[in-house]
This record gives sequence, structure tokens and C-alpha cells, in this order.
Amino acid sequence: METINQKQQGKALSRLEGALKVTGAAQYAGEYSAPDLLYGHVVNSTIPKGKIQKIYTEEILKLPGIIEIFTHENRPSLAWFNFQYSDMDAPPGSPFRPLHDAEIKYYGQPVALVVAESFEEARFAASVLKIDYEKEAFTTNFTNQLDDARAPKRGFATLLKPLPPKPKGDFDKAFDESPVQVSADDYYHGTEHHNPMEMHATTTMFEGEGKLTIYDKTQGTVNSQLYVANVFGLSFKDVRVIAPYVGGAFGSGLQPQYQLFMSVMAALELKRSVRVTLTRAQMYTFGHRPPTLQQIKVAAEMDGKITALHHKATAETSRFEDYTEVVVNWGNILYPVENTKLDYELVPVDVYSPLDMRAPGGSTGLHPLECALDELAYELKMDPLDLRLKNYAEQDDSENRPFSSKELKECYLQGAEKFGWYNRSPQPRSMRRGNRLVGYGMATGIWESMTLPAKAEATLTKEGKFRVRSAVTDIGTGTLTVMTQIAADALGVGLDEVEFEYGDSKMPFAPIQGGSYTVSTVGSAVVAACQALRKRLLKIAQKANGSLFETASESKVSLTNGHLSLSEKPDVAVSFQELLTVSGKRMIKASKTNIPNPLTLKKYTRAAHSAAFVEVEVDEELGVINVTRALTAVAAGTIVNPKTARSQIVGGMVWGISKALREETITDHRLGRYMNPNLAEYHIPVHADIHDLDVIFVEEKDDIVNPLGSKGLGEIGIVALPPAIANAVFHATGKRIHQLPIHFDMLL
Amino acid sequence: MISYEFDYTRPDTVEAALDLLDDDSKILAGGHSLIPALKLRLSAPGKLIDIARIPSLKGIKMDGNELVIGAAATHSDILESDLIKQHLPMFAEGAALIGDPMIRHKGTLGGSLAHADPSADWPAMVLAAEGTVVVQSKTGTRSISSDDFFTGFYSTALESGEIITEIRFPIPAEGTKMTYQKFVQPASRFAIVGCAALRHPDGTARVAFTGVADAPFRDTAVENAVGDWSEEALEAAVALTAQGMEFNVDHYASETYRHHLARVYCRKALKALLY
Repeated sequence: METINQKQQGKALSRLEGALKVTGAAQYAGEYSAPDLLYGHVVNSTIPKGKIQKIYTEEILKLPGIIEIFTHENRPSLAWFNFQYSDMDAPPGSPFRPLHDAEIKYYGQPVALVVAESFEEARFAASVLKIDYEKEAFTTNFTNQLDDARAPKRGFATLLKPLPPKPKGDFDKAFDESPVQVSADDYYHGTEHHNPMEMHATTTMFEGEGKLTIYDKTQGTVNSQLYVANVFGLSFKDVRVIAPYVGGAFGSGLQPQYQLFMSVMAALELKRSVRVTLTRAQMYTFGHRPPTLQQIKVAAEMDGKITALHHKATAETSRFEDYTEVVVNWGNILYPVENTKLDYELVPVDVYSPLDMRAPGGSTGLHPLECALDELAYELKMDPLDLRLKNYAEQDDSENRPFSSKELKECYLQGAEKFGWYNRSPQPRSMRRGNRLVGYGMATGIWESMTLPAKAEATLTKEGKFRVRSAVTDIGTGTLTVMTQIAADALGVGLDEVEFEYGDSKMPFAPIQGGSYTVSTVGSAVVAACQALRKRLLKIAQKANGSLFETASESKVSLTNGHLSLSEKPDVAVSFQELLTVSGKRMIKASKTNIPNPLTLKKYTRAAHSAAFVEVEVDEELGVINVTRALTAVAAGTIVNPKTARSQIVGGMVWGISKALREETITDHRLGRYMNPNLAEYHIPVHADIHDLDVIFVEEKDDIVNPLGSKGLGEIGIVALPPAIANAVFHATGKRIHQLPIHFDMLL
Repeated sequence: MISYEFDYTRPDTVEAALDLLDDDSKILAGGHSLIPALKLRLSAPGKLIDIARIPSLKGIKMDGNELVIGAAATHSDILESDLIKQHLPMFAEGAALIGDPMIRHKGTLGGSLAHADPSADWPAMVLAAEGTVVVQSKTGTRSISSDDFFTGFYSTALESGEIITEIRFPIPAEGTKMTYQKFVQPASRFAIVGCAALRHPDGTARVAFTGVADAPFRDTAVENAVGDWSEEALEAAVALTAQGMEFNVDHYASETYRHHLARVYCRKALKALLY
């Protein structure tokens, strides 16, 4: 592996597109227009299960501006097989097909699309469309159906989400014989819904001759392209999906959502451009973090050595797909344990399939694991951090293989030092500030570091600048900025000389943007493409002026001041213009696919780690909890841009606070519907709820994970916060709350 | 949601408003509760009669030994009034806790009382300050003691054809102490529990709650138990808070937690009157 000169990487750059975003100049999927644009508004079912009997479209079609109402009765004929509806991230099962038939599978299911000349006309007509239903018995409360729990089905999407490893040793015996035990079966978190700032929207431009240009809110332009082509029987080359800006997605845009289907269907049928934007309430009608019930048992010797671990998760899924997460696998990666029993089961109920939400599974599973460790530490009269150091994993015990790199110990030590962890008095309820109880809590975080295949293209343009392209999106993480830095370094040029173009399915393939793997995946492809371009340019230079560059190699040339030159002898140079002339082309391109070597990678467990330290204040009279201070120390390999990296971690920490104390979608199980589909009643923290947040990046070098040595930061910021907060609440109040979010009244 | 079509009129006098008032109309006096209700079709009058700018309903003034707040005085008018700060400081304290600046500049005292939201702030304060609600109809005017005004969930003693014109308060004797304390819903700023308490110089008290039950109420058990305002007496009074009430329950606060909050806020309010 060649190392590249890192001049731009490591710079704390602001987002290159930041000014466009804050001034409103950046256009999002629902903001593109066409002269003949039509507006679609979706009508959702008002029962959780049953059949549509009659849709009274006749009267509504007479309303002003109404063009058409699409329902299961008049939709065009579409692809027949399940696989044609399966996108790159579809769980095993039968993907939901909008407007497929009269059957209602969940509350809020899209049942009609009203298309009108104006948004207001479409919305009004949708609000008065009358539908008769035949109701059927349903159940939405999976905790009442635990007898139905079963192992999940396997499928394409579960390749990236391994099921739990087989039991090891003899858990029951080891647990029973260990002197110190902790056991609980009531860890639970409720349903959570995605609330990105930008709601899902698709504008489909009908270009004629069967061609579509689609502006979609998505985390994967190619994934949306694939879905549209398959479902509507179109040729890939006729479908172009563009997503230049994405106003947050966090997993909600990994799979194509129904507004894409609706917009494309209407455009094809009406031969007009059509925009469909979902409302905030409709953001609660496709997928969610599944509510999950968990049991955990941990036992240890008197010296703190963990001897036995049993972790079981039972999660909700839909009746039509087995959505899975990696919930229980983390414990034996973080801690060496000889006797383990790890189980993961699903209970199908009448809801839409859950979907990935920031750190799916990790933020779920680490909660009981890291709380149980805290409880164990108190049983042992050990400091919780010392217990983790005592059980520090030098290698991944679950797979019996080394880590590609692991600086978690430094996270613990540097984090504890900066936070002042050891200043606490261990006794619960022993720290006070005025009339508030003060508590410190900590927890460990982990998230796998994947690298997937991706392609990129690098070009020397006729203006003598460099352009690098990938179909990848930037969901607000700073991908544009970071890729520009990586490309500049890989080419050996300044930032001003490189333009990174992205968010377009016509560009070289990138997988959906999720799983914290974008920098490693797309970044590695960008490096490969840039190096390929340098090689090509050198080759042309040799052709132009063979004798001077004969012995030069790619690593020994510089691209500066519009010239390719020998690094050692800068006066031996050939201008970019000359290279272009010699090549006989308008621009010089090179593209490269980076395919990580599975055999090398299989030898190592690759993961980012973190340690979170949290201080809470609890008003004893009211139970009000404030996270007054939180610090996360992160080991995630190379940090390409400390500023966007810190923002990623801070954003994750805020979500962790939210998950611990605020967010929950409440279901009225009598009606089978969500009660709080709006931001007034679905609580998320506001500025006043967020206080002092600190981030440390621990130095970590990793030559194995990918050529950049970067592990990804999208999820590692959230995972440790909820257990750290629950542990701090215990330290403050003496109460162990196993449910998230922790409500004030649970502390009374 | 978009509201349906309705007629809107803005008469200049109460008499003109009364002439317009019929079964198909609603009085608009700020609109922060009524307009959302119309949008949600929870209420669907054919006509709105806007009284918020009728001059005779505005203003805050002294009248003999009473302080008079016009029904169309906004929360902000009350917050900024020197007369209020001098005689009913609890009203300024409470006004500052209502919603946000926009709501405080639009919402009115009369509108809030007539609407009788079980979580609204003013009803508790009006009860504690012994307010009298003056209403006018085509047949004349009548006064309703605040003790008789709030009859249930969004229900009052107002008859159809009546408009609240003013709320009158006895001027508290020198040395009277009063406070309004509330636990806010973080998004709406409505009171999950609000407690208004007033301590007369002779040691007698008036204590009223909002947010706790279907309707705001005076808690006479607490009032009677404050005795000599000793710590023991106050704790005994706090223990009696909202006894026998049917509590509001929502996903934000259970019955147990609301009852607990009522006791905590009762204690906070009583203790605020000690010095």
C-alpha cells in the first residue's frame, strides 16, 4: 500500500457547501421545479389492518386543479416479483409495494396519490378524499406477543448484519458458580422515528422519450435508480437520480421511500413532471427504530474478571419483512468472556418494517450491556472504569482474531483525565450542587468499520483543473469537504484545484451512504482513481517528452502550477495543456474501482471505539434530569477533517442525550396508531437542553482497515451516551432505570 | 391544515358584537386556541366576531377599591402594567411564563378565561386573586365569581349570547403576598401543573391549581391547613394537595406524577410567600 502525502487531510475545514446551505441557495429534492410541474399529495390509511372497500374519487376529481387520483385500482401494471422491489438494503421478506392492492398492512399506509396543478389543491383534495375500509383484528404491541418470537430470516441485507455467534462454554454453569452476578430482563426502549430537518421529497422531471431525471431525498442515488428501473421496467440509462444536498437522513434514506414511487409513477402515467413531498406527520408512516426488549446476565469473579455473559434481544418487526440489527454481538467483542449465550429474536406485528436509524443495533445493545457492567462494578465495589480496564479485550474474543487497531484504552485514560472521572465519590447520592443531585456515569462505545467496493473517476479538465466524481451523496456529514481533501492529497494538489462532484447516479458507483463506511469506501476509491490519473498523466508526459520522464514513477512526480514535473527536479516539467494536446482529448480521465481484499480483512476485527463520560444533575423534587457535561473520547483511525469529525460526534452525542431522555413515539395500541407524529409531542432536545459537550480524538494508526486508515464516525458518537447517562442517573439518585427514555416520574 | 371558509367581522363596540352573536358564531379574542381548533375542525362556526380591538375592552385601571382588567387586555399588556406590578404582581409573574412573545402579544385574558383550557395559566391566578368575571349580553350585565366560573373541561358559566367584558379584583391589602409557579410543557409552554397562591396579612390563604384536573380549582383543604405558616403546617397543607381530584393523564405526565408535581408546586408557592 502506498502512503500518500497528507497535506489537506487533518485540516479543520468548514464545509465547502456551508454558505450555500445557510443562505438557502442549496437546492433540495423538493425544491426543483419545472414549467409544467404537478404536485402529488399522499393519502394515508386511517386503519391499521383490513381492506379498502371503496375510494370515493369521483367527487374529488371534480375539484379545481385536480388532475388524477392514483389508487390500487388504477395504478399502472408494475413489476411482479419481490426481488424487483428489493433495494440494496431491503430486509429479507416481501418489500412493501405502494398501491399494490386493497390490503392495509399498517396505520398510515399510503393508499392514494392526489395529483393537482398546485400543492394546495392536491393537499386539500387529499384531506377530503373519503375511503371506506373493512377493518380486521390487529396487534401493534409486540411485548404482548412474545410467544411469537422467532429467529430472523437471513437475506442479502443480513450479510452486513451478522446474526449472533453460537453459544460458547457453559453459560448457565459459569453464571451459577460465579460469586458476583447481575441479571435483568426489563431493558426496553420504545419506538423512535426519524426526524431529519428535510422531509422526504422527490421531484421527477419527465424528459420525454422514456427518460426521467429524479431529484430524490436519498442516501444512495444508484439505489433509487435501481429501484425505479426495476419496479417500472425502465432501462437503467433512462433513469437518472440526483441528490446534491440531503437535509439529514441518518438511515431514513437508505431505502427508497414511497414518495419516490409515487412521484415516478405519476410522472410516467401523466407524462408530466411531478413532485411529491411528505409532511412531518407522514415521516411517521415508513419505518422506525424498532422497540426492543432485552435481557442481560453478567457474572464475574471477585477480582472483576467477567466469567459469563448472556444477552438476549427481542425486537419488533413487520409482518412482511424481517428487519434485523446487530444488537447482542458487541459484548464479547468488547470483553473477553469464556461462557456466552447471545440471542436475537423478532416478533412480527402490524406495523411498517423498522429501518436503520443512526447506529442501528449498536445503540440498542450497548445500553443493557454497559449498564450491566456498571451494576456489576457496584456489586464488586470496583470503579466502573477499572472494571472495564480489568476486562480489556486485546483481541476480539467472539471471532478469536486481532483488531486491525484499537486505542480504546487511550480513550478511557484520556477521557477520564480530561473529564475528571476519578474526582467523583463512588457512593450514589453522595454528590450535590444546591438542591440538585449530581451523578457521573461512563460507558464504552464500539461500531464496526466497514469498507465496501466503490468506484471513482478523476479527470484533468481542459482548464487544467482536476475533477473527481462519485455517485455518493452527502447527507450532511461533510462528504464533499472530506472527499475534496482526500482527492487533493491523492493528486498532490491544492484544494482550489480540485472539484469533487457527487450525488448523481450517472457518476461512478458508490454504495448507499450509511454504516459509517463512506469515508473509507468512497475515500479509498477516490485515492485509487487519483493515483490512476497521476499514472496516466505520467504516461502521456513520457509520450510527449520521453527522455526527460523515462525513469520517473508516479510517486516521484508533482502536479503544481499547471505542470507535471519531477519532484526532485522541478524544472523538468510539462504543462497540463501540452499533456492535453498530446493526448488528443479534451480532458484526461482515469477511473478505478476499489475492492477491499476480503481475505485480508477477514483476519481482523475492524472497529471504531469510544468512551463516554457524562455528568447529570437531577432535581430531586421534580425528577428533571439535565446532562450538564459530556465528553466522548474516540479512537477511529485517521481523522480527515477535525471540524466535520467533531460535528459528527457532537451530533451523535446530542442524539444520544435525546435517546436517553427525550425521544419516543407513543403508540395507541387500541387504535394501532402513533399518537405523537409531530415535533411538539415527539420530544427532541433544544439548545437549552444541551450544555457542555467535549470531544477528544485519540491518535490511532491503522494500516489495515483501508488505505486512508480512517474508520468512520457516523455512529460512534451516539452509542455510548444512553448507557453513560443511565449510569450517571444511578450515581446521582441511586435508582437503576432500565427503560429509555428515562422519564422524570421514574425517579420518584 | 387549512381552515374552512368562514365570515369574519370586527365590530367597534360590545353592543355591535352582541348584535352579531348567534348560535353560528364564535367570539375571537386573540385566536391562539380558537384558530388551531378551526383548522382541526374541532369547532366550525360560520362566523368569527373579533372583539380583541374593541376600545372599551382594553386597558387596566383602578375603579374604587377594585383593579379592573379589560377582557381584551393582552398577556403582554398585563406583564407591562405598573398597576399590576403594584397590586397584583403575581399576574406579571404569571404572564411572563405564558407561551412566547408572539402569544403574549396576541392572547387576551378574557379569551383565555372563556376558552377555559384545563392547562391555561390565568384561571388559577384569577381564582387565587378572587376575580369576578363581568359579562354582558343584550339583556344587561352580570358578575360571576371566579369560584363559580369554571365548571368543567373547557366549560364555564358563560351563557350563549354573553361576552366577557372585564375581570375585577379586590385590591389586596398592604402586605399581601402572592405568587404563581408552574411546571411547563417544554414544547407548548402550557402548565403541566400551575399553582397560584395568595397570603393575606391575616395569614389566611387562597390557593388554586391549573393543569391538574379537568378544570382549574381552588384547593380549600390546603387553604385551611396553612394555619400559622409554620414548616409543619405547610407540610401538612402540601400533603392535602388536590385530594380526591380526578387527575389529567397524558403521555407526558401520569396521574401519580401529576399529583406529585401538584404537591411540589404547592410547596414551592407556599414557601415563596413566607418572606
